[in-house]
Amino acid sequence: MSEYSPDVVRKLEEKANQMRQDIVVMVGAAQSGHPGGSLSAADIVAALYFNVMRYDVKNPKWADRDRFVLSKGHASPVLYAALAEAGFFPRAEIITFRNINSHLQGHPDMKKLAGVEFTTGSLGQGLSGAGGMAIAGKLDKKDYRVFCMIGDGESEEGQIWEAAMSAAHYKLDNLTAITDWNGLQIDGPNAEIMNVNPLPDKWRAFGWNVIEIDGHDFTQILDALSPESRVEGKPTMIIAKTVKGKGVSFMENACDWHGKAPSEEQVKTALAELCA
Amino acid sequence: MSEQLHDLEMRAVYARTLIELANENPNIICMEADLSKASGTNPAFLTAHPDRFINAGVAEADMICIAGGMAVEGKIPFCASFTPFATRRVYDQVTISVAYANTNVKIVGTAPGITAGPNGGTHMCFQDMAIMRAMPNMIVLSPCDTYELRECIKWMAAHEGPVYVQLSRMKQPAVFDESYRFNPDKAVKVREGKDVTLVTTGYMTQFAVKAANELAAEGITVDLLHYPSVKPFDTATLIESAKKTGKVVTVENQSIIGGLGGAVCETLSENHPTPVKRLGIPDKFGEVATEDYLFGKHGFGVEHIKKACR
Repeated sequence: MSEYSPDVVRKLEEKANQMRQDIVVMVGAAQSGHPGGSLSAADIVAALYFNVMRYDVKNPKWADRDRFVLSKGHASPVLYAALAEAGFFPRAEIITFRNINSHLQGHPDMKKLAGVEFTTGSLGQGLSGAGGMAIAGKLDKKDYRVFCMIGDGESEEGQIWEAAMSAAHYKLDNLTAITDWNGLQIDGPNAEIMNVNPLPDKWRAFGWNVIEIDGHDFTQILDALSPESRVEGKPTMIIAKTVKGKGVSFMENACDWHGKAPSEEQVKTALAELCA
Repeated sequence: MSEQLHDLEMRAVYARTLIELANENPNIICMEADLSKASGTNPAFLTAHPDRFINAGVAEADMICIAGGMAVEGKIPFCASFTPFATRRVYDQVTISVAYANTNVKIVGTAPGITAGPNGGTHMCFQDMAIMRAMPNMIVLSPCDTYELRECIKWMAAHEGPVYVQLSRMKQPAVFDESYRFNPDKAVKVREGKDVTLVTTGYMTQFAVKAANELAAEGITVDLLHYPSVKPFDTATLIESAKKTGKVVTVENQSIIGGLGGAVCETLSENHPTPVKRLGIPDKFGEVATEDYLFGKHGFGVEHIKKACR
Protein backbone atom coordinates (compact mmCIF):
# COMPACT_ATOMS: atom_id res chain seq x y z
CA MET A 1 0.00 0.00 0.00
CA SER A 2 1.26 3.46 -0.88
CA GLU A 3 2.02 6.15 1.66
CA TYR A 4 0.10 9.37 1.17
CA SER A 5 1.13 12.49 3.02
CA PRO A 6 -1.18 13.56 5.85
CA ASP A 7 -1.82 16.73 3.88
CA VAL A 8 -3.20 14.82 0.90
CA VAL A 9 -5.52 12.77 3.06
CA ARG A 10 -6.54 15.75 5.19
CA LYS A 11 -7.42 17.75 2.09
CA LEU A 12 -9.61 14.95 0.77
CA GLU A 13 -11.30 14.55 4.14
CA GLU A 14 -12.10 18.25 4.12
CA LYS A 15 -13.44 18.10 0.57
CA ALA A 16 -15.59 15.06 1.32
CA ASN A 17 -16.90 16.69 4.46
CA GLN A 18 -17.84 19.85 2.57
CA MET A 19 -19.55 17.70 -0.07
CA ARG A 20 -21.52 15.84 2.62
CA GLN A 21 -22.70 19.15 4.06
CA ASP A 22 -23.76 20.25 0.57
CA ILE A 23 -25.59 16.98 -0.03
CA VAL A 24 -27.60 17.43 3.16
CA VAL A 25 -28.34 21.09 2.38
CA MET A 26 -29.31 20.28 -1.20
CA VAL A 27 -31.71 17.46 -0.39
CA GLY A 28 -33.09 19.41 2.57
CA ALA A 29 -33.75 22.48 0.42
CA ALA A 30 -35.40 20.43 -2.32
CA GLN A 31 -37.32 18.32 0.22
CA SER A 32 -36.66 15.56 -2.28
CA GLY A 33 -33.70 13.48 -3.43
CA HIS A 34 -31.44 10.63 -2.39
CA PRO A 35 -29.10 11.35 0.52
CA GLY A 36 -28.10 7.79 1.55
CA GLY A 37 -26.30 6.69 -1.59
CA SER A 38 -24.86 10.17 -2.10
CA LEU A 39 -23.23 10.15 1.32
CA SER A 40 -21.88 6.61 0.86
CA ALA A 41 -20.17 7.66 -2.38
CA ALA A 42 -18.78 10.99 -1.16
CA ASP A 43 -15.25 9.86 -0.26
CA ILE A 44 -14.68 8.09 -3.59
CA VAL A 45 -16.10 10.97 -5.62
CA ALA A 46 -13.99 13.44 -3.61
CA ALA A 47 -10.87 11.41 -4.37
CA LEU A 48 -11.74 11.39 -8.08
CA TYR A 49 -12.38 15.13 -8.39
CA PHE A 50 -9.75 16.43 -5.97
CA ASN A 51 -6.84 14.07 -6.50
CA VAL A 52 -7.15 11.54 -9.32
CA MET A 53 -8.88 13.06 -12.37
CA ARG A 54 -7.47 15.67 -14.70
CA TYR A 55 -9.92 18.28 -15.94
CA ASP A 56 -10.22 22.00 -16.52
CA VAL A 57 -13.28 23.77 -15.15
CA LYS A 58 -12.68 26.63 -17.59
CA ASN A 59 -12.72 24.17 -20.47
CA PRO A 60 -15.20 21.44 -19.48
CA LYS A 61 -15.01 19.81 -22.93
CA TRP A 62 -11.17 19.64 -22.96
CA ALA A 63 -10.57 16.60 -25.19
CA ASP A 64 -7.89 15.07 -22.95
CA ARG A 65 -9.80 15.32 -19.66
CA ASP A 66 -10.69 12.25 -17.63
CA ARG A 67 -14.40 11.46 -17.63
CA PHE A 68 -16.65 10.47 -14.73
CA VAL A 69 -20.06 8.90 -15.34
CA LEU A 70 -22.41 8.56 -12.36
CA SER A 71 -24.40 5.57 -13.54
CA LYS A 72 -26.32 5.50 -10.25
CA GLY A 73 -27.78 8.82 -11.30
CA HIS A 74 -30.12 9.17 -8.31
CA ALA A 75 -26.99 9.99 -6.27
CA SER A 76 -26.84 13.26 -8.24
CA PRO A 77 -26.29 15.32 -5.05
CA VAL A 78 -22.80 13.83 -4.63
CA LEU A 79 -21.92 14.75 -8.23
CA TYR A 80 -23.35 18.26 -7.91
CA ALA A 81 -21.48 18.74 -4.61
CA ALA A 82 -18.21 17.76 -6.32
CA LEU A 83 -18.86 19.94 -9.37
CA ALA A 84 -19.72 22.92 -7.15
CA GLU A 85 -16.62 22.38 -5.03
CA ALA A 86 -14.50 22.09 -8.19
CA GLY A 87 -15.95 25.34 -9.51
CA PHE A 88 -18.12 24.18 -12.41
CA PHE A 89 -20.97 26.27 -10.99
CA PRO A 90 -21.42 28.55 -7.95
CA ARG A 91 -22.07 26.70 -4.70
CA ALA A 92 -24.94 29.09 -3.90
CA GLU A 93 -26.95 27.38 -6.63
CA ILE A 94 -27.06 24.01 -4.87
CA ILE A 95 -30.29 25.06 -3.17
CA THR A 96 -31.99 25.10 -6.60
CA PHE A 97 -31.62 21.29 -6.75
CA ARG A 98 -34.82 19.74 -8.18
CA ASN A 99 -36.38 23.17 -8.75
CA ILE A 100 -38.20 24.14 -11.94
CA ASN A 101 -35.67 25.42 -14.52
CA SER A 102 -32.63 24.48 -12.38
CA HIS A 103 -29.64 22.96 -14.16
CA LEU A 104 -29.48 20.64 -11.15
CA GLN A 105 -32.10 18.18 -12.37
CA GLY A 106 -33.27 15.29 -10.19
CA HIS A 107 -30.92 13.07 -12.16
CA PRO A 108 -27.80 14.35 -14.00
CA ASP A 109 -28.50 15.91 -17.40
CA MET A 110 -25.40 16.57 -19.49
CA LYS A 111 -27.25 19.06 -21.68
CA LYS A 112 -28.12 21.22 -18.68
CA LEU A 113 -24.92 21.26 -16.59
CA ALA A 114 -21.28 21.55 -17.66
CA GLY A 115 -19.18 18.84 -16.05
CA VAL A 116 -21.87 16.17 -16.32
CA GLU A 117 -20.42 13.70 -18.82
CA PHE A 118 -23.44 11.47 -19.46
CA THR A 119 -27.15 11.73 -18.80
CA THR A 120 -28.12 9.07 -16.29
CA GLY A 121 -30.95 8.09 -13.99
CA SER A 122 -32.45 5.10 -15.76
CA LEU A 123 -30.33 2.49 -14.01
CA GLY A 124 -27.95 0.24 -15.90
CA GLN A 125 -27.25 2.56 -18.82
CA GLY A 126 -24.31 4.62 -17.57
CA LEU A 127 -21.77 1.80 -17.55
CA SER A 128 -22.50 1.05 -21.21
CA GLY A 129 -22.16 4.76 -22.00
CA ALA A 130 -18.83 4.87 -20.17
CA GLY A 131 -17.76 1.84 -22.22
CA GLY A 132 -18.63 3.78 -25.39
CA MET A 133 -16.48 6.70 -24.21
CA ALA A 134 -13.62 4.29 -23.50
CA ILE A 135 -13.92 2.70 -26.96
CA ALA A 136 -13.89 6.19 -28.51
CA GLY A 137 -10.77 7.05 -26.50
CA LYS A 138 -9.00 4.00 -27.87
CA LEU A 139 -10.09 4.78 -31.45
CA ASP A 140 -8.85 8.35 -31.06
CA LYS A 141 -5.60 7.18 -29.42
CA LYS A 142 -6.28 9.38 -26.40
CA ASP A 143 -4.90 8.52 -22.99
CA TYR A 144 -7.82 9.86 -20.96
CA ARG A 145 -9.39 7.57 -18.36
CA VAL A 146 -13.10 6.93 -17.98
CA PHE A 147 -14.45 6.38 -14.47
CA CYS A 148 -17.93 5.12 -13.78
CA MET A 149 -19.72 4.58 -10.49
CA ILE A 150 -22.53 2.04 -10.27
CA GLY A 151 -24.71 1.00 -7.35
CA ASP A 152 -25.08 -2.43 -5.82
CA GLY A 153 -28.84 -2.27 -6.32
CA GLU A 154 -28.19 -1.07 -9.86
CA SER A 155 -26.16 -4.24 -10.38
CA GLU A 156 -29.46 -6.11 -10.45
CA GLU A 157 -30.08 -4.57 -13.89
CA GLY A 158 -29.27 -7.07 -16.64
CA GLN A 159 -27.64 -4.36 -18.74
CA ILE A 160 -24.85 -4.00 -16.16
CA TRP A 161 -23.75 -7.49 -17.07
CA GLU A 162 -24.02 -6.78 -20.78
CA ALA A 163 -21.62 -3.89 -20.21
CA ALA A 164 -19.44 -6.14 -18.04
CA MET A 165 -19.09 -8.47 -21.02
CA SER A 166 -18.46 -5.82 -23.67
CA ALA A 167 -15.91 -3.82 -21.65
CA ALA A 168 -13.89 -6.97 -21.05
CA HIS A 169 -14.33 -8.12 -24.65
CA TYR A 170 -13.05 -4.81 -26.01
CA LYS A 171 -10.18 -4.81 -23.45
CA LEU A 172 -11.12 -1.40 -22.06
CA ASP A 173 -8.21 -0.90 -19.66
CA ASN A 174 -8.92 2.84 -19.85
CA LEU A 175 -12.19 2.19 -17.98
CA THR A 176 -12.33 2.02 -14.19
CA ALA A 177 -15.69 1.31 -12.60
CA ILE A 178 -16.52 1.55 -8.93
CA THR A 179 -19.35 -0.27 -7.19
CA ASP A 180 -20.68 1.72 -4.24
CA TRP A 181 -21.35 -1.39 -2.20
CA ASN A 182 -23.41 -0.04 0.70
CA GLY A 183 -25.57 -3.15 0.79
CA LEU A 184 -28.91 -1.34 0.82
CA GLN A 185 -31.42 -0.46 -1.85
CA ILE A 186 -34.72 1.38 -1.68
CA ASP A 187 -36.83 -1.62 -0.64
CA GLY A 188 -34.31 -3.09 1.81
CA PRO A 189 -30.97 -4.91 2.01
CA ASN A 190 -29.69 -6.32 -1.33
CA ALA A 191 -29.49 -9.72 0.30
CA GLU A 192 -33.24 -9.70 0.95
CA ILE A 193 -34.53 -7.91 -2.16
CA MET A 194 -32.36 -9.51 -4.83
CA ASN A 195 -29.06 -11.00 -3.88
CA VAL A 196 -26.24 -9.56 -5.99
CA ASN A 197 -23.46 -11.44 -4.23
CA PRO A 198 -20.79 -12.54 -4.61
CA LEU A 199 -20.01 -9.30 -6.43
CA PRO A 200 -16.18 -9.55 -6.56
CA ASP A 201 -16.33 -13.11 -7.90
CA LYS A 202 -18.86 -12.14 -10.53
CA TRP A 203 -16.73 -9.29 -11.87
CA ARG A 204 -13.63 -11.51 -11.85
CA ALA A 205 -15.54 -14.17 -13.77
CA PHE A 206 -16.54 -11.53 -16.34
CA GLY A 207 -12.85 -10.83 -16.96
CA TRP A 208 -12.31 -7.64 -14.99
CA ASN A 209 -9.38 -6.61 -12.82
CA VAL A 210 -11.13 -6.53 -9.43
CA ILE A 211 -9.93 -4.53 -6.43
CA GLU A 212 -11.75 -4.71 -3.11
CA ILE A 213 -11.45 -1.75 -0.77
CA ASP A 214 -12.94 0.09 2.17
CA GLY A 215 -14.69 2.94 0.35
CA HIS A 216 -14.10 5.33 3.24
CA ASP A 217 -10.35 4.80 3.57
CA PHE A 218 -8.56 7.37 1.41
CA THR A 219 -5.33 5.40 1.24
CA GLN A 220 -7.17 2.41 -0.18
CA ILE A 221 -9.30 4.60 -2.46
CA LEU A 222 -6.29 6.41 -3.93
CA ASP A 223 -4.36 3.19 -4.38
CA ALA A 224 -7.25 1.57 -6.24
CA LEU A 225 -7.86 4.58 -8.46
CA SER A 226 -4.19 5.10 -9.33
CA PRO A 227 -3.07 4.28 -12.88
CA GLU A 228 -0.70 1.66 -11.44
CA SER A 229 -3.60 -0.46 -10.22
CA ARG A 230 -4.77 -1.10 -13.76
CA VAL A 231 -4.03 -4.30 -15.64
CA GLU A 232 -3.24 -4.11 -19.34
CA GLY A 233 -6.09 -5.35 -21.50
CA LYS A 234 -8.69 -5.47 -18.72
CA PRO A 235 -11.20 -2.98 -17.34
CA THR A 236 -10.93 -2.43 -13.60
CA MET A 237 -13.76 -2.81 -11.11
CA ILE A 238 -13.25 -1.37 -7.64
CA ILE A 239 -15.69 -2.96 -5.23
CA ALA A 240 -15.89 -0.39 -2.48
CA LYS A 241 -17.50 -1.42 0.79
CA THR A 242 -19.31 1.64 2.01
CA VAL A 243 -21.84 2.75 4.61
CA LYS A 244 -25.08 4.14 3.31
CA GLY A 245 -25.67 7.59 4.81
CA LYS A 246 -22.01 7.78 5.92
CA GLY A 247 -21.21 10.79 8.09
CA VAL A 248 -24.70 11.52 9.38
CA SER A 249 -25.32 9.23 12.35
CA PHE A 250 -29.08 8.90 12.00
CA MET A 251 -28.80 8.13 8.28
CA GLU A 252 -26.03 5.54 8.51
CA ASN A 253 -27.06 2.03 7.46
CA ALA A 254 -30.70 3.09 7.48
CA CYS A 255 -32.56 2.01 4.40
CA ASP A 256 -35.22 4.67 4.85
CA TRP A 257 -32.71 7.37 3.93
CA HIS A 258 -32.26 6.02 0.40
CA GLY A 259 -34.70 8.51 -1.03
CA LYS A 260 -36.01 10.66 1.81
CA ALA A 261 -35.36 14.32 2.54
CA PRO A 262 -34.39 15.47 6.05
CA SER A 263 -36.57 18.00 7.86
CA GLU A 264 -35.18 21.45 8.67
CA GLU A 265 -34.37 20.21 12.18
CA GLN A 266 -32.65 17.10 10.84
CA VAL A 267 -30.58 19.21 8.43
CA LYS A 268 -29.38 21.26 11.39
CA THR A 269 -28.52 18.14 13.37
CA ALA A 270 -26.69 16.62 10.40
CA LEU A 271 -24.69 19.78 9.72
CA ALA A 272 -23.78 20.08 13.38
CA GLU A 273 -22.40 16.54 13.29
CA LEU A 274 -20.47 17.12 10.08
CA CYS A 275 -19.03 20.40 11.35
CA ALA A 276 -18.07 19.04 14.74
CA MET B 1 -25.56 -1.90 -69.23
CA SER B 2 -23.70 -1.26 -66.02
CA GLU B 3 -25.11 -2.22 -62.66
CA GLN B 4 -27.88 0.03 -61.43
CA LEU B 5 -28.52 0.84 -57.81
CA HIS B 6 -31.94 -0.83 -57.81
CA ASP B 7 -30.31 -4.08 -58.93
CA LEU B 8 -28.84 -4.29 -55.45
CA GLU B 9 -30.45 -5.42 -52.23
CA MET B 10 -31.40 -2.56 -49.93
CA ARG B 11 -29.00 -3.85 -47.27
CA ALA B 12 -26.15 -3.88 -49.75
CA VAL B 13 -26.84 -0.23 -50.50
CA TYR B 14 -26.97 0.52 -46.77
CA ALA B 15 -23.56 -1.09 -46.27
CA ARG B 16 -22.08 0.51 -49.38
CA THR B 17 -23.31 3.97 -48.41
CA LEU B 18 -22.02 3.58 -44.86
CA ILE B 19 -18.61 2.54 -46.20
CA GLU B 20 -18.52 5.56 -48.52
CA LEU B 21 -19.37 7.84 -45.61
CA ALA B 22 -16.76 6.15 -43.42
CA ASN B 23 -14.12 6.59 -46.12
CA GLU B 24 -14.57 10.32 -45.82
CA ASN B 25 -15.44 10.71 -42.16
CA PRO B 26 -13.34 8.92 -39.51
CA ASN B 27 -16.15 9.33 -36.98
CA ILE B 28 -18.63 7.04 -38.74
CA ILE B 29 -19.08 3.83 -36.72
CA CYS B 30 -20.99 0.69 -37.71
CA MET B 31 -22.62 -1.02 -34.72
CA GLU B 32 -24.34 -4.36 -34.75
CA ALA B 33 -25.83 -6.80 -32.25
CA ASP B 34 -25.02 -10.14 -33.89
CA LEU B 35 -27.18 -9.50 -36.96
CA SER B 36 -24.48 -7.93 -39.12
CA LYS B 37 -24.86 -10.48 -41.89
CA ALA B 38 -28.60 -9.80 -41.99
CA SER B 39 -27.97 -6.03 -42.07
CA GLY B 40 -25.49 -6.39 -44.92
CA THR B 41 -22.59 -4.77 -43.08
CA ASN B 42 -20.73 -8.06 -42.66
CA PRO B 43 -18.49 -8.70 -44.48
CA ALA B 44 -18.70 -5.41 -46.44
CA PHE B 45 -18.16 -2.79 -43.72
CA LEU B 46 -16.26 -5.16 -41.45
CA THR B 47 -13.69 -5.71 -44.19
CA ALA B 48 -13.47 -2.06 -45.24
CA HIS B 49 -13.20 -0.57 -41.74
CA PRO B 50 -12.61 -3.33 -39.17
CA ASP B 51 -11.59 -0.88 -36.44
CA ARG B 52 -14.89 0.98 -36.73
CA PHE B 53 -17.11 -2.09 -36.77
CA ILE B 54 -18.34 -2.68 -33.23
CA ASN B 55 -20.34 -5.84 -32.58
CA ALA B 56 -22.07 -5.68 -29.21
CA GLY B 57 -23.17 -9.28 -29.42
CA VAL B 58 -26.73 -10.24 -28.54
CA ALA B 59 -27.00 -7.25 -26.22
CA GLU B 60 -29.03 -4.51 -27.87
CA ALA B 61 -29.41 -2.40 -24.71
CA ASP B 62 -25.64 -2.27 -24.31
CA MET B 63 -25.25 -1.47 -28.02
CA ILE B 64 -27.55 1.57 -27.83
CA CYS B 65 -25.89 3.02 -24.73
CA ILE B 66 -22.34 2.32 -25.98
CA ALA B 67 -23.44 4.27 -29.06
CA GLY B 68 -24.65 7.09 -26.79
CA GLY B 69 -21.25 7.20 -25.09
CA MET B 70 -19.40 7.16 -28.41
CA ALA B 71 -21.63 9.93 -29.76
CA VAL B 72 -20.74 12.09 -26.76
CA GLU B 73 -17.13 11.72 -27.92
CA GLY B 74 -17.96 12.90 -31.44
CA LYS B 75 -18.57 9.56 -33.09
CA ILE B 76 -21.56 8.93 -35.38
CA PRO B 77 -22.70 5.37 -34.63
CA PHE B 78 -25.21 3.60 -36.87
CA CYS B 79 -26.81 0.81 -34.81
CA ALA B 80 -28.67 -1.89 -36.72
CA SER B 81 -30.86 -4.80 -35.69
CA PHE B 82 -34.21 -6.30 -36.60
CA THR B 83 -36.90 -3.66 -35.99
CA PRO B 84 -38.31 -5.23 -32.79
CA PHE B 85 -34.85 -5.36 -31.19
CA ALA B 86 -33.76 -1.95 -32.48
CA THR B 87 -36.85 -0.25 -31.07
CA ARG B 88 -39.27 -1.88 -28.64
CA ARG B 89 -36.67 -4.05 -26.87
CA VAL B 90 -34.49 -1.00 -26.17
CA TYR B 91 -37.20 1.62 -25.87
CA ASP B 92 -35.94 3.02 -22.58
CA GLN B 93 -32.29 2.97 -23.66
CA VAL B 94 -33.18 4.85 -26.85
CA THR B 95 -35.44 7.20 -24.90
CA ILE B 96 -32.84 8.18 -22.28
CA SER B 97 -29.35 7.62 -23.73
CA VAL B 98 -30.27 8.77 -27.25
CA ALA B 99 -33.40 10.95 -27.44
CA TYR B 100 -33.50 12.61 -23.99
CA ALA B 101 -29.71 13.01 -23.97
CA ASN B 102 -30.03 14.14 -27.61
CA THR B 103 -26.97 12.16 -28.69
CA ASN B 104 -25.98 11.80 -32.33
CA VAL B 105 -27.00 8.14 -32.63
CA LYS B 106 -28.58 6.58 -35.71
CA ILE B 107 -30.80 3.53 -35.34
CA VAL B 108 -31.52 1.22 -38.25
CA GLY B 109 -34.48 -1.17 -37.91
CA THR B 110 -34.18 -3.96 -40.47
CA ALA B 111 -36.88 -6.27 -41.85
CA PRO B 112 -39.77 -3.98 -40.88
CA GLY B 113 -43.34 -5.21 -40.54
CA ILE B 114 -44.44 -8.03 -42.78
CA THR B 115 -41.01 -8.28 -44.45
CA ALA B 116 -39.99 -10.33 -41.39
CA GLY B 117 -42.08 -13.04 -43.11
CA PRO B 118 -41.02 -16.53 -42.08
CA ASN B 119 -39.66 -15.40 -38.69
CA GLY B 120 -43.25 -14.88 -37.60
CA GLY B 121 -44.98 -12.95 -34.86
CA THR B 122 -42.07 -12.55 -32.46
CA HIS B 123 -40.02 -10.77 -35.09
CA MET B 124 -42.84 -9.02 -36.94
CA CYS B 125 -42.85 -5.55 -35.43
CA PHE B 126 -45.81 -3.42 -36.43
CA GLN B 127 -45.41 -0.59 -33.93
CA ASP B 128 -41.84 0.71 -34.34
CA MET B 129 -42.98 3.73 -36.33
CA ALA B 130 -45.60 4.62 -33.73
CA ILE B 131 -43.34 4.26 -30.70
CA MET B 132 -40.36 6.00 -32.27
CA ARG B 133 -42.60 8.80 -33.52
CA ALA B 134 -43.91 9.37 -30.00
CA MET B 135 -40.37 10.06 -28.75
CA PRO B 136 -39.26 13.72 -28.55
CA ASN B 137 -36.08 14.58 -30.53
CA MET B 138 -36.43 11.46 -32.69
CA ILE B 139 -36.67 11.66 -36.47
CA VAL B 140 -38.41 8.73 -38.20
CA LEU B 141 -37.63 7.78 -41.80
CA SER B 142 -38.79 4.99 -44.09
CA PRO B 143 -37.27 5.08 -47.59
CA CYS B 144 -38.97 3.11 -50.36
CA ASP B 145 -36.10 2.19 -52.69
CA THR B 146 -32.32 2.10 -52.98
CA TYR B 147 -32.02 5.64 -54.36
CA GLU B 148 -33.96 7.09 -51.48
CA LEU B 149 -32.24 4.86 -48.95
CA ARG B 150 -28.80 6.04 -50.07
CA GLU B 151 -29.85 9.68 -49.75
CA CYS B 152 -31.46 9.08 -46.35
CA ILE B 153 -28.33 7.43 -44.95
CA LYS B 154 -26.16 10.30 -46.20
CA TRP B 155 -28.56 12.81 -44.69
CA MET B 156 -28.57 10.93 -41.37
CA ALA B 157 -24.77 11.11 -41.18
CA ALA B 158 -24.80 14.84 -41.86
CA HIS B 159 -27.68 15.60 -39.48
CA GLU B 160 -26.69 16.20 -35.84
CA GLY B 161 -29.16 14.28 -33.65
CA PRO B 162 -31.09 11.03 -33.20
CA VAL B 163 -32.64 9.41 -36.27
CA TYR B 164 -34.50 6.13 -36.74
CA VAL B 165 -34.76 4.55 -40.18
CA GLN B 166 -36.63 1.46 -41.36
CA LEU B 167 -34.60 -0.70 -43.72
CA SER B 168 -36.29 -3.42 -45.72
CA ARG B 169 -33.38 -5.65 -46.59
CA MET B 170 -34.17 -7.16 -49.96
CA LYS B 171 -34.30 -5.79 -53.52
CA GLN B 172 -37.04 -3.24 -54.10
CA PRO B 173 -38.33 -1.97 -57.44
CA ALA B 174 -37.18 1.53 -58.27
CA VAL B 175 -39.65 4.30 -57.54
CA PHE B 176 -37.00 6.98 -58.04
CA ASP B 177 -33.73 7.27 -59.95
CA GLU B 178 -30.24 8.74 -59.63
CA SER B 179 -31.63 12.27 -59.59
CA TYR B 180 -33.49 11.73 -56.30
CA ARG B 181 -32.64 14.11 -53.42
CA PHE B 182 -34.01 13.63 -49.91
CA ASN B 183 -35.74 16.42 -48.01
CA PRO B 184 -37.07 15.42 -44.56
CA ASP B 185 -39.51 18.33 -44.59
CA LYS B 186 -41.24 17.46 -47.86
CA ALA B 187 -43.53 14.68 -48.97
CA VAL B 188 -42.83 13.44 -52.50
CA LYS B 189 -45.74 13.73 -54.92
CA VAL B 190 -45.23 10.55 -56.92
CA ARG B 191 -48.44 10.95 -58.95
CA GLU B 192 -50.61 14.02 -59.43
CA GLY B 193 -54.37 13.52 -59.32
CA LYS B 194 -57.65 15.06 -58.23
CA ASP B 195 -59.98 12.24 -57.15
CA VAL B 196 -58.34 10.86 -54.01
CA THR B 197 -55.25 11.43 -51.89
CA LEU B 198 -53.23 8.25 -51.29
CA VAL B 199 -50.58 8.54 -48.56
CA THR B 200 -47.79 5.97 -48.21
CA THR B 201 -44.33 5.43 -46.81
CA GLY B 202 -41.45 2.97 -47.06
CA TYR B 203 -42.11 -0.54 -48.24
CA MET B 204 -45.75 0.11 -49.24
CA THR B 205 -45.01 2.89 -51.70
CA GLN B 206 -44.22 0.46 -54.55
CA PHE B 207 -47.70 -1.09 -54.14
CA ALA B 208 -49.36 2.32 -53.95
CA VAL B 209 -47.70 3.30 -57.23
CA LYS B 210 -49.02 0.14 -58.84
CA ALA B 211 -52.52 0.83 -57.50
CA ALA B 212 -52.39 4.43 -58.72
CA ASN B 213 -51.31 3.35 -62.21
CA GLU B 214 -54.10 0.82 -62.48
CA LEU B 215 -56.68 3.31 -61.17
CA ALA B 216 -55.56 5.80 -63.82
CA ALA B 217 -56.54 3.24 -66.45
CA GLU B 218 -60.01 3.25 -64.87
CA GLY B 219 -60.14 7.02 -65.09
CA ILE B 220 -59.49 7.63 -61.37
CA THR B 221 -56.58 9.99 -60.77
CA VAL B 222 -54.68 9.66 -57.50
CA ASP B 223 -52.72 12.35 -55.69
CA LEU B 224 -50.02 9.99 -54.43
CA LEU B 225 -47.99 11.35 -51.53
CA HIS B 226 -44.96 9.35 -50.42
CA TYR B 227 -43.53 10.29 -47.03
CA PRO B 228 -39.88 9.26 -46.61
CA SER B 229 -40.03 11.13 -43.30
CA VAL B 230 -42.96 10.39 -41.03
CA LYS B 231 -41.39 12.69 -38.42
CA PRO B 232 -40.96 15.50 -39.25
CA PHE B 233 -44.26 15.23 -41.07
CA ASP B 234 -44.99 17.54 -43.99
CA THR B 235 -48.48 18.72 -43.04
CA ALA B 236 -48.79 21.41 -45.72
CA THR B 237 -48.65 19.04 -48.69
CA LEU B 238 -51.22 16.73 -47.08
CA ILE B 239 -53.67 19.51 -46.20
CA GLU B 240 -53.39 21.04 -49.66
CA SER B 241 -54.04 17.67 -51.29
CA ALA B 242 -56.97 16.86 -48.96
CA LYS B 243 -58.55 20.22 -49.76
CA LYS B 244 -58.32 19.31 -53.44
CA THR B 245 -59.56 15.70 -53.31
CA GLY B 246 -61.72 15.61 -50.18
CA LYS B 247 -60.85 11.93 -49.62
CA VAL B 248 -57.75 10.34 -48.10
CA VAL B 249 -56.47 6.77 -47.99
CA THR B 250 -53.32 5.78 -46.04
CA VAL B 251 -51.36 2.56 -46.43
CA GLU B 252 -48.43 1.36 -44.36
CA ASN B 253 -46.45 -1.74 -43.45
CA GLN B 254 -47.31 -1.09 -39.80
CA SER B 255 -50.17 -1.06 -37.35
CA ILE B 256 -52.79 1.50 -38.35
CA ILE B 257 -52.52 2.79 -34.77
CA GLY B 258 -50.02 5.59 -34.29
CA GLY B 259 -47.92 5.38 -37.45
CA LEU B 260 -48.42 7.05 -40.82
CA GLY B 261 -52.21 6.74 -40.67
CA GLY B 262 -52.11 8.21 -37.19
CA ALA B 263 -50.01 11.15 -38.36
CA VAL B 264 -52.42 11.80 -41.24
CA CYS B 265 -55.50 11.70 -38.99
CA GLU B 266 -53.88 13.95 -36.37
CA THR B 267 -53.00 16.48 -39.03
CA LEU B 268 -56.31 16.52 -40.88
CA SER B 269 -58.57 16.46 -37.81
CA GLU B 270 -56.84 19.58 -36.50
CA ASN B 271 -56.50 21.41 -39.81
CA HIS B 272 -58.96 20.23 -42.42
CA PRO B 273 -61.27 17.42 -41.28
CA THR B 274 -61.47 14.93 -44.13
CA PRO B 275 -62.68 11.31 -44.30
CA VAL B 276 -59.65 9.01 -43.99
CA LYS B 277 -59.42 5.26 -44.60
CA ARG B 278 -56.36 3.69 -42.96
CA LEU B 279 -54.94 0.51 -44.50
CA GLY B 280 -52.29 -1.59 -42.80
CA ILE B 281 -52.24 -4.04 -39.92
CA PRO B 282 -55.22 -3.70 -37.60
CA ASP B 283 -54.65 -4.15 -33.86
CA LYS B 284 -53.10 -7.59 -34.35
CA PHE B 285 -49.79 -9.41 -33.90
CA GLY B 286 -47.90 -10.96 -36.80
CA GLU B 287 -47.47 -14.62 -37.68
CA VAL B 288 -45.46 -16.80 -40.03
CA ALA B 289 -46.84 -15.82 -43.40
CA THR B 290 -46.19 -14.67 -46.92
CA GLU B 291 -46.74 -11.09 -47.93
CA ASP B 292 -49.76 -11.97 -50.08
CA TYR B 293 -51.33 -13.88 -47.22
CA LEU B 294 -51.03 -10.89 -44.89
CA PHE B 295 -52.17 -8.43 -47.56
CA GLY B 296 -55.26 -10.57 -48.01
CA LYS B 297 -55.89 -11.20 -44.34
CA HIS B 298 -55.59 -7.57 -43.28
CA GLY B 299 -56.65 -5.91 -46.54
CA PHE B 300 -53.80 -3.68 -47.59
CA GLY B 301 -52.52 -5.11 -50.91
CA VAL B 302 -52.84 -3.47 -54.31
CA GLU B 303 -56.47 -4.57 -54.84
CA HIS B 304 -57.46 -3.31 -51.39
CA ILE B 305 -55.74 0.01 -52.01
CA LYS B 306 -57.62 0.37 -55.30
CA LYS B 307 -60.93 -0.50 -53.67
CA ALA B 308 -60.39 2.02 -50.88
CA CYS B 309 -59.52 4.72 -53.43
CA ARG B 310 -62.59 4.20 -55.60
